This record gives sequence, structure tokens and C-alpha cells, in this order.
Amino acid sequence: MADSLVPAISIRNLTKVYPIPFKRERVVAVRNLSLHVEPGQVYGLLGPNGSGKSTTMKIILGLVSPTEGTTTIFGRDSSEVESREQVGFLPENPYFYKFLTGEETLFFYGKICGLRGAKLRERTRELLALVGLEGARDRRLGGYSKGMLQRIGLAQALVQEPRLLVLDEPTAGVDPAGSREIRDLILNFKTRGITVMLCSHLLEQVQEICDRIGILHQGKLVREGRLEELISIENQTELILENASPDLLRQIGALVSGSDAKLIAQHQPQRTLERFFLEVTGKEK
Amino acid sequence: MKKVHLIALLIVLGFGAAKAPVEQRLTGEHRAAFFHGAKLSLDLRQQIGQMAFLAALSGFRSVVADLLFIQAHTAWEHVEWGRVALLLNQVTALEPRNVLYWDTAAWHMAWNASVAARYDKKEPREALRIKREREYFHVGADFAARGIQNNPDRYNLYERLGMIYRDKLGDHCKAADVFERGAHTVKAPDYEKRLAVYELAQCPGREREAYARFRELYESGEHERLPSVIKWLGILQEKLNIPASERLNLPPN
Amino acid sequence: MITTPPKHRAFSPWRIHAIASNALLELARLKVFYFLLLFALLIIGSSAFMMEFPFHEQFQVLKDLSLGAMSIFTWLLAVLATAMILPKDIEDRTLYTILAKPVPRVEYLLGKLLGVLWLLLLSTVLMSAMFALALATKEHLVVAQTMREMAHAPQEQLQAALRDVHEHAFTSSLVPGVLSIYLKAAIFASLTLLLSTFATSSIFTIIVSFVIYFIGHVQHIAREEWLGSAHPMAMKKVFLALVALLFPDLQLFNLVDDIVAGNAIQMALFVKTVGLGCAYTFVYAFVAYVIFAYKEL
Repeated sequence: MADSLVPAISIRNLTKVYPIPFKRERVVAVRNLSLHVEPGQVYGLLGPNGSGKSTTMKIILGLVSPTEGTTTIFGRDSSEVESREQVGFLPENPYFYKFLTGEETLFFYGKICGLRGAKLRERTRELLALVGLEGARDRRLGGYSKGMLQRIGLAQALVQEPRLLVLDEPTAGVDPAGSREIRDLILNFKTRGITVMLCSHLLEQVQEICDRIGILHQGKLVREGRLEELISIENQTELILENASPDLLRQIGALVSGSDAKLIAQHQPQRTLERFFLEVTGKEK
Repeated sequence: MKKVHLIALLIVLGFGAAKAPVEQRLTGEHRAAFFHGAKLSLDLRQQIGQMAFLAALSGFRSVVADLLFIQAHTAWEHVEWGRVALLLNQVTALEPRNVLYWDTAAWHMAWNASVAARYDKKEPREALRIKREREYFHVGADFAARGIQNNPDRYNLYERLGMIYRDKLGDHCKAADVFERGAHTVKAPDYEKRLAVYELAQCPGREREAYARFRELYESGEHERLPSVIKWLGILQEKLNIPASERLNLPPN
Repeated sequence: MITTPPKHRAFSPWRIHAIASNALLELARLKVFYFLLLFALLIIGSSAFMMEFPFHEQFQVLKDLSLGAMSIFTWLLAVLATAMILPKDIEDRTLYTILAKPVPRVEYLLGKLLGVLWLLLLSTVLMSAMFALALATKEHLVVAQTMREMAHAPQEQLQAALRDVHEHAFTSSLVPGVLSIYLKAAIFASLTLLLSTFATSSIFTIIVSFVIYFIGHVQHIAREEWLGSAHPMAMKKVFLALVALLFPDLQLFNLVDDIVAGNAIQMALFVKTVGLGCAYTFVYAFVAYVIFAYKEL
């Protein structure tokens, strides 16, 4: 398919300058940014607060217009309404309409994407099952927990079956169990061939799911590339052994000292606190 | 201000320029329609003051008028005539286009307040009581006349004013004129013109005019040959010494 | 799971409908319709209170109070509902989720406006129904009373008296009166939407909307001064012209007082007034769109 050659997101020489009202100063939010996200990738856009992540995302979604440069989604310019047929978006800390139930929320977003009738009902049922909210379909969003809100948010983002998902801090404020569920959902999307762009400053999570990352700092892309390439220490190798006897370890030590290599550290790997927490609270899958 | 805000302002101003003459014409048409072509004869200053007052109460104007009217009703029950007059003045200022208010105000003053003043037990001097009574007649006439200024198109107030001149002030000439003006309004019932002619017949010096008008009525058809018309024709024929040859052959009354 | 999504349409009434009915649902679930209870209490209370008055005055007060309350309630509803609807979506970031879908901004704005207009229509219809019921009940009572009191009067006189009662009860001229109330509320919904596209807070929108309401009722004085008389003072003339150009003449839509006072309105004139009202509603909505289309969210 020719589509696989077209980048899911293409940003070329993007600059965004915000004037400050009643002052002559201007704020440069994004400075000459270029990056491409290939279809099927999970791309992590990282950066501290105020680095220009949100602005970049808003430009991709056509919510803000660029001062210079272009962004396209599967080849269509972001300024065109049609480009958004292929995008699902989950903003940071979304509220949605508190007065709607989970099901009504998906009906609403489905309708504004042109779905109706049996197809809309079918899609809603499917999505509620996907994000595990079938039990809460008739409850109003006002009574949803943070994690449930985030999951209904993912469901609405997927309602028109977009090929690209843009997620802004999808796990901010969600407890570890909920966070893990969301992470699993994202990995699930990846297996379905959905491209995901993820903005986050929870680095550990990004590390777990992203294929490729870009780091923004003060509106500029400072590093970009495949995750393993960026974080692997090229002249070091990690061995993790199970049931190794002290004797074996001594032999390895002897081999190392007889070579050019140097043993830097030897310790027992630890569980992450997150994994420990999940084991204790019994939510490990 | 951003460029788009300037554009927005220009659109609003452009539309303003297009709609101002339309509004100007519509305002004229509204006035013409509600006054049936009659001109509003109010002093401009008074009108502006009144309009600003009305604007402040926009939407609630009629409700406020109603509430004051109810207060006036209560004041009437307590026989506080000064207060009734004051409140009715406010009510009519708030709702000058409501004939009911003017009419009620005129009637209260000329018929009820005047009688109360005439038989006021707290005032032993009769001359003063009569003077007060007449003052209330005039207050009533004033309400009716101001009502006519605001509603020149409605016959009701001419009728009320005519009745005050006729029954209270005994001025048949003025009553005739007022009834006559009322008879010329759009929705005036038939009897308005007869009311005018009855008064004309009693206005010294205008009996001949009245006689001509009565003949006109009589000759306009069977429906105008009412007993009172026939009676007045008979009286006037005698009074004016109309030659027998010119007299109408009236049916016995 | 991959199915082709429906072809995108540049302008879709279906999407607008979805947004409008959602806005209506939002307002309904905010329990805005509770004010109707207040309205019912008001007309029942006034009816009971006015029992001892002559029937002309009873009808008069019932009409004044009902139509006055309708006018105030629909106007307030238009301003308050519209003033909160856009800022709330921005604050909650719901707006992002909607505009990140293939929804043109014009449809979003139009949907919200239609939602409010719908709410106003429903409210007006419900209040009119209550008002008509109160009027019919009162008429029924007055007719029964007249029949009782004039049982021995000649047939002709009784008929005349009953005609008088009917003339003071429901008249068809009340219908344009109610329509003009709705029209004024619609103008305000559109105007408030325009204000909220550039306002920084709902409070600002509401206050400015209120100020425009009051200036709008005296605009015609400024306009008549401006167009009608020659002024040597240029400053004064510019000021008067600005008032006339920027503000709507709301007095033109105040048909109710005249109608209740028994002054019927001509059809042709009413149609022109409605035309002007629609033009206002449209132009304000259009300007709202122009600002919203370029708004950075």
C-alpha cells in the first residue's frame, strides 16, 4: 500500500511565535522543528514543561496555526478539517461532558464523526469492551475515576477508527494499576497497526512502550532517534543470570580480569517499585 | 487588538450602517401603525426623560405599572385620594399607551374622589368642599386629556373626557367638541357621533348646527331614527322656529 | 476491525444536530427548566391575588405579568446559557476533543447556538402554554360569573357583555407578541455567543451583554438625534452615530406592551420586524464565526 510510504506525521520547519498582548515582546514556543513519525510506530515526544510539546501537538491537530512551516497527517495538511479524520486525540486531564454517561459520550463523539444508527451502536459497544468500561456504560462521567476518564478518553479518540492517536500525558494522575492498563491498551493499539504519538514526562513509561523518541527543549528538538540507540551505552554489556553458582561467578570474574574488559558492577537486579506495588495489590496480570 | 478583531468590528459597523436607515424607517412605521396615522404631540424633552425611565425598566415596565396600579387600588379602598392620584400618575407615565389606566384614573378622580371631597365630614365649610370637588373634576379631565395626547387614536378617552365636561363640569360646548373628535377615530362606535350632536344641541348658539346634524342622521336611514334623535329634532324644530313646510314629518314619540 | 469510515462532508447538518442536541441536553441536565416552576407560581399567584379586581384589570395584569416574566426569563436564559457554554468547553478542554475530530469550527459554533435557540424555543412554548391555560381558566370563570350576574338581562346585552369578556381574554395579536419575545432572546443568544468568542471570562460576557440590553432600549433616541437633526458639534455627532451603528434598536422588538394595551400590530410591519431580528441574529453569529475561526485554542 502506498500509504505505508506516507509518514503518519510530518512536521517541516515548524515555528510558532506567540505575541504577548499589550507588549512588544514575543514568545517563541517552537523553533524550526522538523520531525517525521512513520506509520505503525509509537513515538514519544519528551520535554520539560514549557518546552513546546503541547503547542506542537495543537498545531498537528489544527487547533493552533503555525507561524511558519507545515505539518501534515498522512499527507494532508493539518489546516484541513479532513486531515482529522485519521486522528484521535486525548488531551491532558480531559473532563468531557460530566452530564453524559459513558455510552452517551461515545455516541456523541461517534455522531460528530458521521457515524449513526446500528453502526454507531456497534462501534460504541466494541469500544466500551476494548477499554473495559462495559460495567460503567450507564454511569455519568461525573462519577468516573481518573483512570476511567482516561479510558473513556481513549475510547472516544478511537471512535472513527483513526490510524493515528495523539495522546497528551495519558497517565498523568492515574494510579499505577490504571496506568498499566492504559499502557497495555497503547501496546494493543500498536499491534493493530495504529500509529501513536505520546507526549509525556513520565520517562519510565515512555521507555517501556516507545519505538522512537524526540526530546524538545526550549522549542527546539535537541535529540531524536530510536529508543535503544539513544539510551544504550555502547561500550557496556549487561548479563543477567539466573541460578548462577558462586563458583560460576568466580570463573567469569577470572575471565574478565584476564581480558581487556573491566567489571564495573555486580549486583542482584531489583524489581521496580511499580512491579512490587502491582504484585502486592494483586493487579499484576 | 488582533487583526481579526478589527475585521469583526468593521463588519459590525458595516452592518450598523446598513441597518440604521432600516431601523429609522421601522421606528416611523411602528409609530404610524400604533397611532393610526395620528401624530404624537409630546414635548421632546418629556419624551426623552420618559423613554430613559422606561428603558431602565425594560421588560419589567408593564409589571411595575401593574403593581403601582394595585397599590392605587388599595389606596382607594383606604380612601386616600391624594395617594391614588399620585400613584395613577406614575402608572400612566410608565404605560402611556394603555388606555385602561388613563380611563380608570380619570374616572376615579372625576367620579369618586370628587364625591368623597364633596361629602367630606372632616370639612365643615361647604364652599371649600365644593371647591375641592371641582378641583377633582379638573384632575379627572386632565388625566383624560393627557391620555388623549398619548393615545389620539382611541375613542375611549374622548368619551371619558366628554362625559366629564357633560356630567361634571356642565360644559356642553366643550363636551360636543370632544365627542366629535372621538367620533372620528378609527374604531369609534356609531353612538359617538350622536353623543356629540346631543351636546351640540345644548351648546348655546350652536343649536342650528345641531339641528342640521340631527336631520342628517335622521335622513341617513331607519337605523338612526332612534327615539332620542326624534325627540331632539322635535325640540329643536320648536326652539328654532323652523317653518312648517321645512319641518320633518316626525313619527309620534 | 478496519472498515472505511464514512466519507467526510464539508458541511453536515447531522453533525450540527449532534452538537446542538448535546448542548440542549447539557442545559436540561443543569436543571435550567426549573425556572418554569417559578413562572407557574408567578402566574398562579397573580391570578389568585387579582380576584377582587374588575375583569379588565385581571386580564391586564395576567397578560402583563406573564409576558413580562416570559420576556425577562427568555432573555436571561439566552444570556446566561450562551455565556457559559463556550468558556466551559474551553476550560474543560472538551473543545479540543471535539475540534480534533473532523468537525469544522463553523459547525461547532452553529451547533452550540442552535442548542440554545432550541432551549429558548422549548421554554417559550412551555411558558406560552401555561399562560394560555391561565388565560383560558380566567376567561371561563369570568364568563360563568357574567352569565350568573346577567341571568335576567336581555339576550342582546348578555351577548355584548360576553363579547367584551372574550375581547379582553385571548386575542390573536398575542401570538406576534410572544414571537417578538422569542426573537429578542434569539438576538441575545447570538450576540452573547459573539461576545464569548473574544471575552476572557463568562462574567465579562454577561456584564457586557446586560449593558448592551440597556443601551439597546435607548439606541433609537441616539439614532433619531443622529439622523434627524443637524449638529454643529462633530464630537457629539460621532458619539451618537457610534451608538446607533454598534447597538441594536431593541425598542423595535418591544411589541408586547402595545399589544397588551390593545393596539393590534399589522402583519406587514411584524414581518419586517422579524426580518430585522433575523438579520441581527445572523450577523452576530457570522461575526462570532469570523473571530472563532482564527482563534488560537
